[in-house]
Amino acid sequence: MSAAPRCYEDMLASRREEFSNFMWASRHLKPQVAYQQERRALPQYHKDEVLKCPKIQELLETLSQQQNVAREVLEAQVKSILDEIGYNKKLKVIRWLGLALVKITKKICSGIYINRSAIVHVKAQMGDCPVIFVPSHRSYADFILMSLICFSEDMAIPAIAAGMDFHGMWGMGTMLRDTGAFFMRRTYNNDSLYWTTFKQYVYQLVTKGDLPIEFFIEGTRSRSNKSLMPKYGLILMILKAFFLSQVPDILFVPINISYERILEEKLFAFELLGVPKPKESTSGFFKSLSIMKEKYGAIYFDMAQPISAKQFFGAKFNKSGHNLQPIHQQEITEEEKKLIPELAHEIVLQQQKHCVITTFNLIAIVLHHNLFNEKSLMGVDDLCTQVLWLKKILEAVGAFVQTDDVRNSVFEALEVHKNIVRVDESGKVTLVWNQIVLDKANIGKLKAHNLSETTLTTCVPFIMLQLYINPVLHYLVDCAILVAILKQQALTPDELFGRYHFLRALLSQEFVTFSTREKMEFEVALENCLKLNLVAKNGDVYETGSDKKSQDVVSGCIDGFIFTYFVVCSVLLQSVDGVIDEKTILTRVQAEIEARLNEDNAFIHPYSLSLDTITNCLTTLSNEKILVKTRSKNSILYEINPAGVLSVKSKLEEFVAPSHSLQTKLESIQLHLKTKL
Amino acid sequence: MAGYKKLVHDQGKQKETAIYVNSTVPKNRLEVLKWNGWGYKDSKFIYDAEKKEVRFTGRRYPIGEVQLPLLVGWVTENFDADFSVSKPSQQIPPEDTFPKPRISDENLTKIANLGISYSTKGVERLVRAHGQTLHSIYTLRYSSFERIPDVVLWPTCHDDVIKLVRLADDNNMVIIPFGGGTAVSSAVDCPIMEHRTIISLDTSQMNRILWVDRENLVACCESGIIGQDLERELRKLGFTSGHEPDSYEFSSLGGWVATRASGMKKNTYGNIEDLLVHVKMVTPKGVLEKNCQVPRLSSGPDFNHVVMGSEGSLGVITEVVIKIRPLPACQKFGSIVFPDFESGLRCMREVAKQRCQPSSIRLMDNGQFALGMLLKPGSSYFGLILDGLKKFYVTKIRGFDVKKMCVMTLLFEGDEADIKVQEKKIYAIGATFGGMPAGQTNGERGYMLTFVIAYIRDLALEYEIVAESFETSVPWDRALVLCNNVKQCVAHECKSLGIDYFMINCRVTQTYDAGCVIYFYLAFNYRDVEDPVEVHHLIESKARDEIVACGGSISHHHGVGKIRKKWYPDTVSRVGVDLFLATKKELDPNNVFGVGNLVQAKL
Repeated sequence: MSAAPRCYEDMLASRREEFSNFMWASRHLKPQVAYQQERRALPQYHKDEVLKCPKIQELLETLSQQQNVAREVLEAQVKSILDEIGYNKKLKVIRWLGLALVKITKKICSGIYINRSAIVHVKAQMGDCPVIFVPSHRSYADFILMSLICFSEDMAIPAIAAGMDFHGMWGMGTMLRDTGAFFMRRTYNNDSLYWTTFKQYVYQLVTKGDLPIEFFIEGTRSRSNKSLMPKYGLILMILKAFFLSQVPDILFVPINISYERILEEKLFAFELLGVPKPKESTSGFFKSLSIMKEKYGAIYFDMAQPISAKQFFGAKFNKSGHNLQPIHQQEITEEEKKLIPELAHEIVLQQQKHCVITTFNLIAIVLHHNLFNEKSLMGVDDLCTQVLWLKKILEAVGAFVQTDDVRNSVFEALEVHKNIVRVDESGKVTLVWNQIVLDKANIGKLKAHNLSETTLTTCVPFIMLQLYINPVLHYLVDCAILVAILKQQALTPDELFGRYHFLRALLSQEFVTFSTREKMEFEVALENCLKLNLVAKNGDVYETGSDKKSQDVVSGCIDGFIFTYFVVCSVLLQSVDGVIDEKTILTRVQAEIEARLNEDNAFIHPYSLSLDTITNCLTTLSNEKILVKTRSKNSILYEINPAGVLSVKSKLEEFVAPSHSLQTKLESIQLHLKTKL
Repeated sequence: MAGYKKLVHDQGKQKETAIYVNSTVPKNRLEVLKWNGWGYKDSKFIYDAEKKEVRFTGRRYPIGEVQLPLLVGWVTENFDADFSVSKPSQQIPPEDTFPKPRISDENLTKIANLGISYSTKGVERLVRAHGQTLHSIYTLRYSSFERIPDVVLWPTCHDDVIKLVRLADDNNMVIIPFGGGTAVSSAVDCPIMEHRTIISLDTSQMNRILWVDRENLVACCESGIIGQDLERELRKLGFTSGHEPDSYEFSSLGGWVATRASGMKKNTYGNIEDLLVHVKMVTPKGVLEKNCQVPRLSSGPDFNHVVMGSEGSLGVITEVVIKIRPLPACQKFGSIVFPDFESGLRCMREVAKQRCQPSSIRLMDNGQFALGMLLKPGSSYFGLILDGLKKFYVTKIRGFDVKKMCVMTLLFEGDEADIKVQEKKIYAIGATFGGMPAGQTNGERGYMLTFVIAYIRDLALEYEIVAESFETSVPWDRALVLCNNVKQCVAHECKSLGIDYFMINCRVTQTYDAGCVIYFYLAFNYRDVEDPVEVHHLIESKARDEIVACGGSISHHHGVGKIRKKWYPDTVSRVGVDLFLATKKELDPNNVFGVGNLVQAKL
């Protein structure tokens, strides 16, 4: 599959040129709809149809008999549920919002760069069946940005699946609803009236709606700036219409939105450490208006080739499987459900493939390596050289890196991220610590271990830096694993794959992948490693290649993760009775890592404290049946298989604190910095 | 005529009462019918290069000899057709070009000794080598068949057939029964791999009405009688069978039974399974029949249903007792326009729910509606669409969109008073779904066009357009989605095959308590397509997959034949297939009826 050259143009460019954006915002719209229906359905029509449909009516009948409640009472409940869920569409609100957003983004962004030919390509395929926009989710800005781009590019603004947390925000909930948001409760429970109504509403939008539908397959904003494991709930509800043949096809459009700087970077860094996220509130929103004073650089928006459900699933399911009952009583079958993860993963993969690596991502990796492995800080010239060097490596493994003139780009990136990285008086590039102000109210309520204030202030800048390394890692993780393994010893291809398989599977939550891709990704990574001299072939065995620096940079990217997994295993093995609740694990792991951080001569990456990493580890171990997860009322319990945990731990041991590099690391800058603080 | 043996009439006991029908289609079919297309030789659409107009020739149909000024422009625009270049059919092949009959002298002698008229002439064999699929017509026009029957026989009665089947069974020959030759399932096509002698058993000379029973209102007919002959003869006696499939001018009673046919007026008279009271089928094991002619029978599984739908693969249907009805006093057409297809469909459903269907009720989608209007003589396109309506009222006051509206056509039969009541009821239901009456002429034209539309494919092929139809039956709750999805599916396939000019539209042609029948019309410009037949097959195949996925059937009345075999096992289950094969093995152990329809018999 040859990829078309990716070319981004600034959507705001013409907005900056025109005298007034008002004319633009109030222009005549001819939006391309997703699924041209013979009858155009308005928001209220959808709600009415859901209420009238046989599925809901039959449920009302049953519940009314079971609970001995008058049918009218239940019907009123459904109505109010529908009012809670249902989207609205007010063109006036959309226009004003469009205008306001253009004004804001013109001020705080250097540009909103869109791949217009990709958008034109998608638009050309719209009209004949439901179209589902599936953007990556890195920021709240994703919501409004999607709608802004649709408004600007004359695509129908989608009906957007939003979490109920927005619903509660005064004014905000209504505004989002008026621009097409529909709301979904987050808690899963047995409220069959609610969930049947919600599912039916989605089904209605898919089958009878003409708007695109937008949802976040990752389920929530990724705090780590990495892709999250896809969730299957909403995509299943959407695909029901396809498996029941109630629509000709469904097109899924994976969308990547890459931010040069994420609005919520600081909040995320805190959240990863366990400082709870503030509840969404309108006052919080106004506080966040302080962002108006800051610069956020560029935003990149790209749409992948739409994935047709019909083509994707092909002949994999029995097409007449739903023919023998009334259509409204049909549900998706277990066989059909099993097909969904592969599609969900494909969507996430395409989101990743369409991400744009910015200069600051490269700076972050280079600086990270410098701080952890080298003896002195770099100057800007050195930084530029290394950024250029790293760019070539990343391009070799398939990343799309957006840098034109390196020096310029570096300076621009440093300007945008001056809250994290600065050039000090002596011209050296270093992290910024003094920006971290702790909110006393929140640090009292840490989710897991009560990290000390010093730990928090020291760690947050590192974690913020890691947030910009993380989106690059899916390009590097396979190579990093191979290098990390071969650093220990030379191996035959089969041995190498065996060990690769262990680590890759262990990190499959961390760096999202789908098991069927493993062998292929192994081979591609090996080829890339050989090409980049990370790995060399010596007779029958593979060993590390000639480029030591690249090896350190690449494998250094996953060190911190492996360390956390190792500590998690240690903590699990300390458990006496073999059952341990999640909160205790999180607390103990963080406590252990904090203690190690404070030891002299330790070189622990602060990102190891990330609760995200710890929970990923627990999830993987549960998936591999090494832990058995059970939910009780207020906690999650894990039953431990000690032999299994021990086996993972001992396999990880060799990757943790490798003796041969200890000496150099002891002298690294990080330690110096630590003592200074 | 040379090549024919003299007829020896059956001297049976029925001779006195039997009506010897003088058929519209003679024994030598080509005297009246086209050899390479649909219907009568004198009736066809032709392009008049001077006037740059299309016209329908002959006076057999009301549309005959009138100019159709709109068609050319529309076809040019919608199909990018070029009327300056035609792709004419080849001439009828000379006698020496046909495949030599594969028959031993010994067997030929045996056949001659039967005393049944036969022929080994190439053209007679060619004419009986095909039905009316696109594949067959395209082959006739532009290439040749690999396998055609080796000998044609014209039995004149049930006993002739018995003798012939016995002979074939004893001498390892194959019999393919041939009726009107209108199959659209490739059911009469010869299997290419068949190396045995293939006998085409033409039933056309077995076309007597053996008796009419006025008390019980049934008539016993030989299976070769064609629809229009049957109807004409019964009308003379004041009766009608009421069975009117779109092909009824040419298709035969035996063919109807063998494919499970359905007629336009089934709401009043029933489908073939409702009309059939008794049937005789000659098999190698003997004659399958019953000992009584009763209205209903509780006596184990009904073997009539082994005969119906057997598609020539179990035996030959020779005599059928069918119900007849007194001719209705009155016939009246009607039509209702709806703002969109969904409204029309919901109205159809309501009519079916109330079981107040008139003899025929059909709903054409917007595409078919427009197409029907194009076959009208007249001046302006817009004026035509709204012919018989107050255009201003419909589009401005009622707000109908010309690009969305669709029309329901109605045919009422019965006493004048009954019809009045029926009309009132239907129009009232129509009104609740936003429909408004659109006059008798629109309805009448709709039904007239049913018979004419079949002729249009021949003209289309000449100007590099493929046109074909396919049908299905579907439960009510899935009908609308099926129509939409199939149209989308076809559009998608066409586009991905690089076909820019195509048309797909549909009509609902029958209603039942539990569902309805949908007929699709597909056409595309094949100028840039290497093998239009293959491409068409591909598209139709995808469309059928979509139909099945949407809960529709393999066929409502066209049958399975050879072109829909792929979907047969899933339709009837593996056990069903084995049951059929077991039946086949019992009735026809030597596979005399090796026509290869439904499933490939491995005996």
